[in-house]
Amino acid sequence: MKLTALSKTKLFPTFFLLCLGCSSVLADTPFEALLADETNGADWLSYSGGYKSQRFSPLSQINTVNVDQLKVMWAYQMQPTGINGAALQETTPLVAGNVMYITESPSSVTALDTRTGRVLWHFVPDITNDVLNIGFPRINRGVALLDDKVYVATLDARLFALDAATGAVRWETTVADNSLGFSLTLAPLALEGKIVVGVSGAEAGVRGYIDAYDSETGERLWRTFTVPAPGEPGSETWQGDDWQTGGGSTWLTGSYDPELDLLYWTTGNPAPDWNGDLRPGDNLFTCAVLALDPDTGEMEWFFQYTPHDTHDWDANQIPVLVDGEFEGKERKLLALANRNAFYYLLDRETGEYLLGEEYSFQTWSEGIDDNGRPIVIPNTEPMREGNLVWPSLQGATNWFSPSYNPQTQQFFVPNRRMGAIYFKSDVEYEPGMPFLGGGEQPLDGDDASGAILALDVMTGEQQWEFELQTPPWSGVMATAGGLVFGSSNEGNFFALDAEDGDPLWFFNSGAHIRTNPMGFSVDGNQRVAIIGGQTLFVFGLE
Amino acid sequence: MLLKKTLSGFSVLFVSGFLSLSAGLVSAQNLENGQQLFQTLCARCHGMLGEGSEGPSLTRPNLVHAPDDAALVSLIVGGIPGTGMPGSRQLRGQDGPDVAAYVRSLGELPPEEMPGDAVAGAQVYRGIGNCSSCHILNGVGNGIGPELSKVGQRRNAAYLRLSVISPEVDQPRLVDRFRGSLKAFLTVRIVSEYGSYEGMRINEDAFTVQMRDMEGEIYSFEKSALISYEKVQGHSLMPGYNSVLDEKQVDDVVSYLMSQK
Repeated sequence: MKLTALSKTKLFPTFFLLCLGCSSVLADTPFEALLADETNGADWLSYSGGYKSQRFSPLSQINTVNVDQLKVMWAYQMQPTGINGAALQETTPLVAGNVMYITESPSSVTALDTRTGRVLWHFVPDITNDVLNIGFPRINRGVALLDDKVYVATLDARLFALDAATGAVRWETTVADNSLGFSLTLAPLALEGKIVVGVSGAEAGVRGYIDAYDSETGERLWRTFTVPAPGEPGSETWQGDDWQTGGGSTWLTGSYDPELDLLYWTTGNPAPDWNGDLRPGDNLFTCAVLALDPDTGEMEWFFQYTPHDTHDWDANQIPVLVDGEFEGKERKLLALANRNAFYYLLDRETGEYLLGEEYSFQTWSEGIDDNGRPIVIPNTEPMREGNLVWPSLQGATNWFSPSYNPQTQQFFVPNRRMGAIYFKSDVEYEPGMPFLGGGEQPLDGDDASGAILALDVMTGEQQWEFELQTPPWSGVMATAGGLVFGSSNEGNFFALDAEDGDPLWFFNSGAHIRTNPMGFSVDGNQRVAIIGGQTLFVFGLE
Repeated sequence: MLLKKTLSGFSVLFVSGFLSLSAGLVSAQNLENGQQLFQTLCARCHGMLGEGSEGPSLTRPNLVHAPDDAALVSLIVGGIPGTGMPGSRQLRGQDGPDVAAYVRSLGELPPEEMPGDAVAGAQVYRGIGNCSSCHILNGVGNGIGPELSKVGQRRNAAYLRLSVISPEVDQPRLVDRFRGSLKAFLTVRIVSEYGSYEGMRINEDAFTVQMRDMEGEIYSFEKSALISYEKVQGHSLMPGYNSVLDEKQVDDVVSYLMSQK
């Protein structure tokens, strides 16, 4: 078995037999290994493939010359426990040593042998059919790894720590009250000694927060609300009691800069979604990115992408940390392709706004002003009789991951091109009920399309596009082999030439693909994984 | 556009008093809530007045998939598997029954009158129209265009008339849970090194397209190998029948199709 020098995965005798050479591995992921995840191509230890969230594989065995020889090495068929038939699967597999960890909807965890796909253990929390999921499907996006434990956040808003070797429960804690509409669907983020999670539930009028838990004991270390109480900074952007049901959920995994020791976490829509009359003001800190002190949860800075959002344009997209020269100056940057159709660059040390460029067709803003505030076109809000606006509520992109190739400074974005007729209606808050204030009718099917875009990370300028039949629900992964892997609703898993977007290889998985690709290696041989429908496919050359 | 239609005349529905739904008496407030939700969630396919377009008309007392009120609430929330009807799972509490009550109130409208003579229309269908050369109805005919068995359950008079005289204006759609509403009979023109092809798109992804021609032959192409590929929007391989049929014959064949339930 080959381990890269950077992998901290430890070798232990006889945990389980993996090959005739009697080499065996006990899954163990120290914080130091997470720090090196970016450059360690053999493993994939965190949701976005490293704290910078670049979703970039440094492996190049599979490349533009040989990608057309990819074949399925093994497949694993999930055993969904969801109601009403087949569930959606949105997990990103993690790999540590020779073990892969995936989640299966709604909140189960499965450990697989990376050589064969054979199941090592399976953990099924009791998620009953009456568990609420208001505003999103009954899904899970994956686990976090730290030391000898696997962490999973569940639909009914609990956080479990499992023994990485057996799947046995080490501890569990309740993060939030599901009866109010709170859920957890994200992959947690493991930092040194702590596990960070965020909540879903803005469609039920929750008040969002980000929590950190002691990784050993499950004790809560801090909680940072995303909607301020009266008197707190930002409370001037709310009126009356609106803040109590203000939304700002935190349902996607954040990023971390160990040098600055700053945690970056994004926030979702204000509530109710489509009737902004019921919550006048900018509604801080919704539709924003927050920079937090990971030890205390204190906010160091924030940037709000969409003030007073009325289109459900959550900013819950992956904040990608990029280092490089911007306008002649070396900077630490935070790049984010927002649901609102603009691509943003911030200085991640200070939160300073640097760039906001339209990357997808939109009809709501004339552009972004010098302070980073959108110049909103009048009469683009939802209306009682309906109002056609681009993009749709699902945005020009969404939770599925972008990818950044630091070698070429290219930023790749899965792009949804669809308008929607937005409606506004009256609504009153009731605990545990939808709190929407309207809805939308999307212009979907043949009236919509999708694409994979390549942008210059420093300017947002489009380099190429690869068109998709319908707006995608799946992420991308760039590799050092000069490739960009992506997928489609039609079930294609494909590889594009990163230089010009030319399709080099595709595979029909047989079902919609709704998750992110990831990569790892087995015995030094590169692997790429994707889930189509209920089936996980692992591809390789040999 | 569809949503700009006037809503005048709507309040008439509410003054007629109370409807009974299994949950008990339904108030004007329930109906108003149901109407508002209907306009947001249902009107795009069923029409602002429930008159039907892409989806069936709901202005009739008996709904095929909803024999009773409980079934109606269930399909509004859960959808109808295998059809274009998605579920509206965001509906909670009283909202589902309110939409159902509103849909039932549409059924209290008088049934749509036939514009002509269905028996004479059967003769037009079989004779001058020669419709079975391209449509299967009750098991008879060629499967080139959409099947017309029970089409009267799915389509109203206005839609059927439009389909007879200007079939290019709108076409049946397939609603895919993940891809949205796709034209089921979109005309495509394809040129490959082996020749030129025209037919109806059956399926498509970013890399390949599947097509059926007027003879029923099925083709599958890899897009990168094609010389040209054109999706012909606003076109139908069915000819418009306003030049073949007179006004009465159109009325009669529409009536015949309306009677297919």
